[in-house]
Amino acid sequence: MKKNKLLFAALVIVAFLFSCSKKDTPAPPPVPPKVTTGAFVLNQGTYGGNNTTLTYYDFATGTQTTDFFKNVNGFGLGDTGSDMIIYGGKMYIVMNVSGYVAVANSITAKFMDTISFKNAGVNRGPENIAAAEGKVFVSSTDGTVAVIDTSSLTVTKFITVGSNPAQMVVASDILYVSNTGGFSATYDSTVSVIPLNTLTESGRIVVGINPGSITTDNTGSIYVVCTGDYVAVKPRLVKININSSTLQSVDSTFGTIRYYNSNLFTTGGYLGAANVGIFNPSTLAAVRASFITDGTAIVNPYGLDIDPATGDVYVGDAKDYVSSGEVFCFDKTGKKKFSFSVSPGISPFKTVLVQQ
Amino acid sequence: MPGAFLFAQNKSDSAKVLQKVTVTGERKHNPFTAIVPVQVLNHEALLQMNAENIADAAKYFSGVLIKDYGGVGGLKTISVRSLGGLNTGLVYDGINIADAQTGQVDLSKFSATFVQSVELDQANPQQIPMPARIYSSASILSFTSSSFNTANFSKAKWLAGINAGSFGLWQPYAGVYVPVSKNTVVSANAEATWATGDYPYHIENGMFSQKAYRTNSDIQSYQGEINVVNRFADSSTLQTKAWGYQSERGLPGSIIFFNDISVQRLEDKDFFIQSRYLKKLNETTTILASAKYSSLFTKYTDPNFLNNAGGLDDRYTQNEMYGSLSLSHRLGEYFSFSVASDLASTHLSANINSFPTPTRMSVWNNLMIEFTKSHWQINASLLNTNINDKTISGTAAVNKNKFTPAFAIGYKPDPESPFLFRFFYKEIFRMPTFNDLYYTYNININPKLLPEYSEQYDAGITYSKNFNSSVSQISFSADGYYNNIRDKIIAVPAQNLFIWTMKNIGKVRITGIDLNGQINGKFSADLKWSARIAYTWQRALDVTDPLSSVYKDEIPYTPDQSGSGMAAVFYKIWSAGYNILFSDERYTLGENDPTNLLPGWNEQDVFVSARFPFKNFQTIIKGEVNNIFNQQYDVIHYYPMPGRSYKLSITINNL
Repeated sequence: MKKNKLLFAALVIVAFLFSCSKKDTPAPPPVPPKVTTGAFVLNQGTYGGNNTTLTYYDFATGTQTTDFFKNVNGFGLGDTGSDMIIYGGKMYIVMNVSGYVAVANSITAKFMDTISFKNAGVNRGPENIAAAEGKVFVSSTDGTVAVIDTSSLTVTKFITVGSNPAQMVVASDILYVSNTGGFSATYDSTVSVIPLNTLTESGRIVVGINPGSITTDNTGSIYVVCTGDYVAVKPRLVKININSSTLQSVDSTFGTIRYYNSNLFTTGGYLGAANVGIFNPSTLAAVRASFITDGTAIVNPYGLDIDPATGDVYVGDAKDYVSSGEVFCFDKTGKKKFSFSVSPGISPFKTVLVQQ
Repeated sequence: MPGAFLFAQNKSDSAKVLQKVTVTGERKHNPFTAIVPVQVLNHEALLQMNAENIADAAKYFSGVLIKDYGGVGGLKTISVRSLGGLNTGLVYDGINIADAQTGQVDLSKFSATFVQSVELDQANPQQIPMPARIYSSASILSFTSSSFNTANFSKAKWLAGINAGSFGLWQPYAGVYVPVSKNTVVSANAEATWATGDYPYHIENGMFSQKAYRTNSDIQSYQGEINVVNRFADSSTLQTKAWGYQSERGLPGSIIFFNDISVQRLEDKDFFIQSRYLKKLNETTTILASAKYSSLFTKYTDPNFLNNAGGLDDRYTQNEMYGSLSLSHRLGEYFSFSVASDLASTHLSANINSFPTPTRMSVWNNLMIEFTKSHWQINASLLNTNINDKTISGTAAVNKNKFTPAFAIGYKPDPESPFLFRFFYKEIFRMPTFNDLYYTYNININPKLLPEYSEQYDAGITYSKNFNSSVSQISFSADGYYNNIRDKIIAVPAQNLFIWTMKNIGKVRITGIDLNGQINGKFSADLKWSARIAYTWQRALDVTDPLSSVYKDEIPYTPDQSGSGMAAVFYKIWSAGYNILFSDERYTLGENDPTNLLPGWNEQDVFVSARFPFKNFQTIIKGEVNNIFNQQYDVIHYYPMPGRSYKLSITINNL
């Protein structure tokens, strides 16, 4: 029957359309370049996406490789990398949702070991990392700071701190930990004080609602952003004078703060404009309207890191947090030196210089 | 509820409509003669597929993406023609099932066992009179029970059965239909579903690759309903339904590398009672009154959540009162019109600190005019929606008062022609949900949030013809469509990954083609066969921001091609069949980078069933092998679907 033939022809066309698929399939991983001078960037990825990636950017060739870690090791880091550090020839990558710390060679990124952050199987939520006096410290959402022995790569001690600690900084042989309490109905408002000689919390300094990003000038002061409760309590920048135990504070809209060479560098917080700021640490007043002086536009400054050797400022642009990010490098006068995409890396949060 | 093409039947329009509403079960409508795209799976088709719930059935429709999080207990929501999960209305026995909190209903709550038919209508179902709320969605997924079938008036009927399957599936059910008087039928049915859901899957991650089993994927659910249908002396009818559902299930979450613990649980307790009264006032006028009360309770727990309270225990209770009055009237030989007014009051409370506790008053008014003459059927409607939110604390959303039109036209070359040409346009919006507006955890409240608009254009052709040969019927439809979404509601991080806000910023442009074919026949008096296919090609592009890296990239989870096929043969007491669902590859993120590409998949199922008649009843035994090639795939990335599974069913009934 003619009608049957028509129908059959339609079915054949459908089958043909179905068999033609023209999208690209992922190319096999390229041979990773040899690491010389450059920077590693940790891209957080999306929650639940197992797409945390590491970018290597080579200063000499101006090329980036993502995912460098997977290219070297043949496996992906997992979900939501929240921080990384290079210390004592090793690279430590904190995997918040996957619940472990990956340890790799600091130059080749060759995988060495995993340090699990599970408490009876339950993820502690490792978040921030710091190092001092031969030890590595990892703060976790479960209210602990882990002390990691850098040769055995095991946790030797969990120090109990406040609720849902966020960031850590070491100043004058003391580890300071900001406690957000961000997972609870009532926020925390303290900074835990942990002398490195005892590795026990000796006390807590009350600083303000929801303390987050924290830094130090290494001359007796700690700076901490108190993010507030997002409703009634506005964010404040709090300066703690360690010796006199006095507090100084101003209204702020900061996300992340970093100290370098008599300046405080900031990214805009949830209320603030999407910019990078520079502030005077004594007066807590802005040095100028924006740190960036050449008009370089950044969609969403997310990561903020400073090269201690040169004072170059690295800003990770997270864009919309679901598409490829970009990293900008500025000199200390706020002029762009270079920038690179971390595609397909998402939400570049941490930039660390290669230490040869 | 398709608009069966009523050429040469103008004079009896209302009568036909009346009969259709009453005789839900017996209606043998042909969806290939409707002036808007309609797809129907009748009871016979439902029996041929592996459908634990209506979501499994809806996967066989063209243009449909069921977001399936895997397993019997996995949440299942529907998106039609890439318009998103909140633009499809759900209608059970003529009245909407709504959830103002999330805007979309988990279709896994609705068992397919007692369902007479499942239907997908694009734009407006072509039926009058009909509540105004049914006009308020871009498409309507409706399903009907067999409880209001007029055949139930003739004798008492009963059925009972059990399904047993892989991964701990047990599903016993039973139902009775009793004509308690000449004009009253009472029916009741109930079903329990237990599944452990511990199916194997594979984690691919280099040296850490491993075989694993889904954990915390179990479900136990119970559902039941009681129906009463009354026929009165004036031929009016009253249908009343009380429905209850209770479930407790694990939420296994996405696969997280290096972290396999999952302890989140979800508990649902849902109840509704609804009533519909239909009366023909005279030869030209029919009225329909509907009312419903519904209550939805949800409890979500996460004992591992790292708060000071030692875990999360969030509870939400949503209540809704709903009423509708509609009237249809035939004016002269060619025109008919219908008006409808609906009112709903929806309240949501929660045990969460400083929860705004919103109450939403919604009013819908709809006017529809239809013209039917020889070759033409034309239908235009205008919907007025008025939404007013109030909150106990915090800021309530601004009031909304909107008018949205729809238009459909059908043309037959001549009244006897098997061909029909059709076109429709519909503009509609979806309201911001309570979660969009008032969910406080990690979300900045945005009371200025506007509705999300969609415009649909569709042009198509259908063909349907009966034959006296080995092929007894061939039906085919092809529709091309263009959809435009503006003010799409998108969650945007507010300078921090953990604090988000909702904004009306998205624009999406969707073009697509839907093809549907159905063919039935018989080789001999004993040997019959049937086949159907549904195919979709579409492109859904993000056109929000020309400067963005995702501009004109495909939106997440929209395959270029997807579809389904079913084929079955029937020989005496035996029947056997083959089903396939397939999907092309698609991106998991808005950025169309190869690393975000999720592979295409197909799932193929086979079954054999036999019916053994006895004196007063019959027994049907069915065996299924589902996903016969053990295809490992995800519909949603890192939510693995079950591989090969088996199911054995036995039913006894006197139907």
